[in-house]
Amino acid sequence: MPEHDITSAAEALRLVQVSKTYGTGDNPVRALDDVSLSLAAGTFTAIMGPSGSGKSTFLQCAAGLDQPTAGRVFIDGAELTGGSETALTKFRRQRIGFIFQQFNLLPTLTVLQNVTLPLRLAGKRADRKRAIAILERVGLGDRIGHRPAELSGGQQQRVAIARALVTNPSAIFADEPTGALDSRSARTVLSLLAEAVREFGQTVVMVTHDPVAASYADSVIFLADGRIAGSLDRPTAETVAERMTHLGDAVTLRPAVGE
Amino acid sequence: MFGLAVRSLRHRTGGFVASFLSMFLGATVVMAFAALLDTAGGSGVDDVSEETLTTMALVVGGWGLVIVLFAVISTMTLSVRQRAGEMALLKSIGATPFQVGRMIVGEAAAVAVVAAALAILPAMGAGRLLLELLQNTDQVAEGISYGFGTAALSIGLGVTFLAAVSGAIVTARRATKQRAKEAMTAVTVEQARMSRKRVIAAIAFLAIGLNCAILTVALFDDKGIDAMQTAGQASIWFSIGLALFAPVLVRAVTAVLAGPLRLLGGISGYLAVENVRRRTQHMAGALMPIILFTGIATGTLYMQSIENAAPPAAGSSIPADEAQAIETLNFVVVGMLSVFAAILVINTLVAATTYRRREFGQQRLAGSTPPQVLSMVGMEGVVLAAAGVLFGSIGSIVTVFPYSLARTGELLPDTTIGIYVGIVSTAAVLTLASCLGAARKAIRVPAVQAVAV
Ligand SMILES: Nc1ncnc2c1ncn2[C@@H]1O[C@H](COP(=O)(O)OP(=O)(O)O)[C@@H](O)[C@H]1O
Ligand SMILES: [Mg+2]
Repeated sequence: MPEHDITSAAEALRLVQVSKTYGTGDNPVRALDDVSLSLAAGTFTAIMGPSGSGKSTFLQCAAGLDQPTAGRVFIDGAELTGGSETALTKFRRQRIGFIFQQFNLLPTLTVLQNVTLPLRLAGKRADRKRAIAILERVGLGDRIGHRPAELSGGQQQRVAIARALVTNPSAIFADEPTGALDSRSARTVLSLLAEAVREFGQTVVMVTHDPVAASYADSVIFLADGRIAGSLDRPTAETVAERMTHLGDAVTLRPAVGE
Repeated sequence: MFGLAVRSLRHRTGGFVASFLSMFLGATVVMAFAALLDTAGGSGVDDVSEETLTTMALVVGGWGLVIVLFAVISTMTLSVRQRAGEMALLKSIGATPFQVGRMIVGEAAAVAVVAAALAILPAMGAGRLLLELLQNTDQVAEGISYGFGTAALSIGLGVTFLAAVSGAIVTARRATKQRAKEAMTAVTVEQARMSRKRVIAAIAFLAIGLNCAILTVALFDDKGIDAMQTAGQASIWFSIGLALFAPVLVRAVTAVLAGPLRLLGGISGYLAVENVRRRTQHMAGALMPIILFTGIATGTLYMQSIENAAPPAAGSSIPADEAQAIETLNFVVVGMLSVFAAILVINTLVAATTYRRREFGQQRLAGSTPPQVLSMVGMEGVVLAAAGVLFGSIGSIVTVFPYSLARTGELLPDTTIGIYVGIVSTAAVLTLASCLGAARKAIRVPAVQAVAV
């Protein structure tokens, strides 16, 4: 899967030899180690790996929330360059949508206001009709006036999905989007993400450690010790779980090989 | 539980800085003035000096108690509110409301003891300076020697401890009344209703203030400085009444400013309006000290300024030397009040803003640039400063106009506008600097880390 699609025009995300090292002192942590990959537009990719393997770091570097120590990141053909937070924010809000484990909706705003917020922040007209249509799509058409605290976790996450969709971004990044949900709400959320890909041609990159969640994706990329440790197309929960156990073996072996 | 209180104190010194500071300053001021009682009780003190010393001590001590009480309630409420989650946790693992309350009171008591003990030395020095000031201005006889003893210590420690413990009891009652679930959600979904008790108290204070204003004109017309007896209090009571109405005032001012803020402030203005609307209670907490500061400082300083400019009145019962003592008192009270109000404004706003770190992070992840966050916070500060200055000014009117009328026959005082400009700018700068300074610091943390709490 990685690196066979670099020339494609419909490329949503490309990482070229990206590394990220935390801390500069005596024991720096190399959270991402020379990662290169390319994801086509309109695909649903799961990033999997054991805890501490660098999944969140990968997501933050790929989505412009953090700066890689080395390497280049392209989103929809445009390079994410280092700059002020303001410059990075402007880049992100044009091209990227986010979904987090903890939803991160603004507590003082209503559901509808939360969804239109990214548009307003970008100085665009807050397209209420479109926002309401998307909220109806995620099954919250009757909740647009509620505040986040009045919703269940699953409902809040669906608001977050609507918020991510509203700007029609080049890529949506989700970090453990079902991590705080019960399995029923989790299934709804995952189906919605899959639907966004199938029906609207969205590109979704989802970090997860749950094989069932990963099975909703078109393909899975495995991370171990900050490196890509393989991939899997058309995953099922069983095949993913199987690979994960082997990944565990690989990780315990790694330090012997290490830097 | 006292052990828990001490441990809890040690781990969150930051949250108690403001409480400590107000107790420490309060203890210093009260003790220094109470030392005048020790001095008055010394040998060879004449009657006039004794009366001046005693009045000073009692008036300032009394106001000190009120101010420290208010400051302690305000700072403690904030630190407890910010720990709503922790309180809820304690309750969920089986702590009774009584135990939680005892912890809060225990914390306050421990801080008060330390603050009062540390205040003894500075108070000794301040008391000596005070006596010298009174002697240099011939309000107290030269030969009198300074005393610092039982009165200073017992009143200083007593007032501080009393204020701290009663403040903490009020806070604890509020905190423990909340159910565990409410405590967790109270932070985000606030209801802005004022309790009946609060409304009644607010109206009572406004009425007392108004009454003082009417008495000033009715009883003390042409009686010179005598009119200060009622005029001086008028703005204090009236401002307290207005401050208690703070939640209502915040909403009123927001309603008026919402349009202009949205129009001129763009998305930041829009967010500022939503935030102020949804956080009336937080905003009200910060508004109260701004109103009190503006109202009382303007009232008192203009009263003195009118007095200084006015011709001597035939009907006055107060001799000139005593008039000077009153002037000193006025300045001391305003000075004391200003320092406390400043601590409260800074503490409330810095704490409330720092507490929003996570929310700022969420906003940044949703696409807010740092300047957008700061301008939102700045506009919230503008709403606060505008409301505080407006209602503080209204609070001062009940002192200034009646006093001017009684003293000069004119409603509007014929004195400098400089004092007012100074007070208003101080209030505005304090408010904006606290909000923006804390917000700048809060967004220095990367957004992803800020939301990961
Ligand atoms: N801010 C940070 N500072 C230092 N080390 C970090 C930081 N964030 C992550 N790490 C380290 O980087 C490695 C990868 O972390 P992370 O990307 O969060 O992994 P995952 O999301 O797969 O659990 C871990 O060893 C973690 O301890
Ligand atoms: Mg992670």
